[in-house]
Amino acid sequence: MLDGGFGGPFLNAIGMECVYPENYGTVCAAAGKAQPYLERSAAEGFPDHLCGYARNCFGYTASMADVGQIPPDAPSGGMPKPVMLLASGMVCDARFKWFQALGSYLDAPVWTLESPRPGAREGLTEGAYERDVAFLVKGLREFGGFLEKLLGKKIDWAKFEEEVDTTIAMNKLWYNINQLRKARPGPMHSRDFWSSMSGSTLSTMDPKAVTALYLKMYDEVKERVDKGISGIGAPEKYRLTFIGLPPWHSLGFFDKLAERGWNFVIEQTYHPPKPIDLSWVKDPVEKVVRYRFQSLAHQIEDTFSPKEAEEVKQEILKQGYSPRMALREAMEYQCDGAMLHTLLTCRGTTAPLFLSQNQLMDVWNIPSLVIEGDIVDHTLFDPQDALRKAEVFEETMDHYKKVRKEKGLGW
Amino acid sequence: MTQSKKTSLAAAREIYQDRSSRARELRAQGRQVIGYLCLYPPVEMLTAFGLVPYRLFGDMKEPVTRADTYLPTVVCPFLRSLLDLGLKGKFDFLDGVVMAHTCDVGAQIPGLWNNFVKTPYSYFIDTPHTLHAEARAQEKAELLDFQKSLETLTGKKLAPHKLKEAIEAHNRQRALVRELYDLRKPAPPLITGVEILQTLIAIMSLPVEEGSELLAGVIREVKARSPLPDRKSTRLLVWGPVIHETPLIDMIESLDAYVVMDDTCVGSRAYFTDVKITPDPLDGLADYYLAGIKCPRTFVEKVSGETGKDHASDLETRFSYLSKLAKDWKVDGVILQSVRYCDSHGYEVPAVKEYLSRNGLPGIYLEHDNTRGAMAPLKTRVQGFLEIIGK
Repeated sequence: MLDGGFGGPFLNAIGMECVYPENYGTVCAAAGKAQPYLERSAAEGFPDHLCGYARNCFGYTASMADVGQIPPDAPSGGMPKPVMLLASGMVCDARFKWFQALGSYLDAPVWTLESPRPGAREGLTEGAYERDVAFLVKGLREFGGFLEKLLGKKIDWAKFEEEVDTTIAMNKLWYNINQLRKARPGPMHSRDFWSSMSGSTLSTMDPKAVTALYLKMYDEVKERVDKGISGIGAPEKYRLTFIGLPPWHSLGFFDKLAERGWNFVIEQTYHPPKPIDLSWVKDPVEKVVRYRFQSLAHQIEDTFSPKEAEEVKQEILKQGYSPRMALREAMEYQCDGAMLHTLLTCRGTTAPLFLSQNQLMDVWNIPSLVIEGDIVDHTLFDPQDALRKAEVFEETMDHYKKVRKEKGLGW
Repeated sequence: MTQSKKTSLAAAREIYQDRSSRARELRAQGRQVIGYLCLYPPVEMLTAFGLVPYRLFGDMKEPVTRADTYLPTVVCPFLRSLLDLGLKGKFDFLDGVVMAHTCDVGAQIPGLWNNFVKTPYSYFIDTPHTLHAEARAQEKAELLDFQKSLETLTGKKLAPHKLKEAIEAHNRQRALVRELYDLRKPAPPLITGVEILQTLIAIMSLPVEEGSELLAGVIREVKARSPLPDRKSTRLLVWGPVIHETPLIDMIESLDAYVVMDDTCVGSRAYFTDVKITPDPLDGLADYYLAGIKCPRTFVEKVSGETGKDHASDLETRFSYLSKLAKDWKVDGVILQSVRYCDSHGYEVPAVKEYLSRNGLPGIYLEHDNTRGAMAPLKTRVQGFLEIIGK
């Protein structure tokens, strides 16, 4: 299970390979093979509004339980029966409810990693961040103990430390590649991002191999920047951000938009944490935590001048939020518009979308286009309808380009 | 509160129909009223500070219009309704709100509330999701932070004995609710599911002592009643998330059935476990608010970190309380109901049905959009279910 990168180093250091069922959901969706699993999930009694990845996994696992092995028609070789399930509270509650529900089909034990999600104001309360760090460190150590008990062997802590450092370095490289995308024209489209982010987003058994890939990718993207080549194979007319999770079954939809000059230069999800100096942290478990779970205070101080940072903190303490913190990447990547993907099956990413829509307009004068669909179920997405809406939306983006210029926003 | 000439049941019904009236009255008298969402904010702490806890609900009669701008339609209709009421100024009598990480959308509401409703005070408790040892310590620390925030709000330091007294007061209320529920055990029950719900909604709109006084009156009246006419043959338990208005229960009880028990967060989940009295009251509160409430938002397991896995034992750990409720209240069948898009309960449905089936209890799952209009189509399904039970 996607766990924000907290559990991966433990699994690697004890020699356990990790398979991500949500990633398998994207594979089934992209291959057009998810529908039978979704139908089986419904037949098992799971409501059809639950997470598409989870429903795909329920259908797959129920089918696997029927035949006692990987179903012979499973796309890309299927997923093996797991030794254990690693759940997480990160991003959404589905991540642990889903694995708990798999108990109907698998006898694998489940460990759930906690993932604090403090409110903005509460996160700035004195001592709150350090307490959350200690909470996560303790939880991860307990998880390490669980793994050792389960497998009857010890974690290789030297390997663990090496994994942590290599992964942080790998992610720094990936972060820097994405920084290059600020260039005009944008050298790398979201489709390229989505097809290459898994090395960073999902803990890998071999971060060194992914690093080698990202090094080549950095050079390629840099070359495009230097030569002024856009990532869409056509002149860049509009720069967009994608907010939500993509329709994995219909990524060709973005090619149609690219033909119209739409360049998705940044997306809201799946990005690694911003690199920070952790040389002072000696304990590798604590290093993982401080890298993956960065304090809001630090993020504010890293973004603003000391005077402005203090103002932002006071705003948050007073009213619970600061508009200056809202969706800054849309401004930093000079976006003309945002595409928001509301998903029938994902509350975690869909619930905040309209807040994002309001903030983009109120703070940055960036208009949004809302499309409805799903991550796995292609029957919930109508690409023709979305394309029709997109054509009309171009006039809106043109209008707000003028508005931003009038307001001196710089792009 | 004056209940002089009214019966307590009538008073409860009146408060149910105009929930905020007493809270507004108290506020006019100088009391601070704090709205709380779901079961996870510790009402005892609000009481200990002299604040009036007021449980936040949506309104099934009010079409959602303003909230459409801020929450997509594919999220919990109950929370959309709640936000809608907030945006329309229906909670203008509140001095503050406290919310907790109950579910994905529930955790998003504070941000929207702060941005667009702007109640003077707000607080978010990031309740952990597991029962691991460090999660209990974390919950206690979260509650201590909340206490400090209330100290700032009220300008008062909280003495531990005040918190202990508040816990005892709420435990007394929980005991009274259990006593009221016992009056549903006879066949026929002495009180209907609709009356129970109206009473519980009423006490969630009042300071604890007033609520307990009302409850005691209701219990006295119901005990003195003649039995309900025994015209119905089926005794049902209703399971699921929030039921904050009567149409669903009313619809079920319009058929050949009594709702004699519930496992919902306005019903038994809020009252069937007491907060333990501990030397440091925060320990008892932390334990209750993490482990004591039977909501599927928490990951419950037999033993934390068990390396073996036995499905039957897992079901027993998670749902044995249900079979006890069903046995004690002589339940014939279970209606699993949920507002659409409630994921926490949605993931639970097949497991609960499996558990009930293993225990010989028939069950049916109903999903609705939390409007009154949604009840009519469900009636046919409930009728069919009653026929299948065949009593």
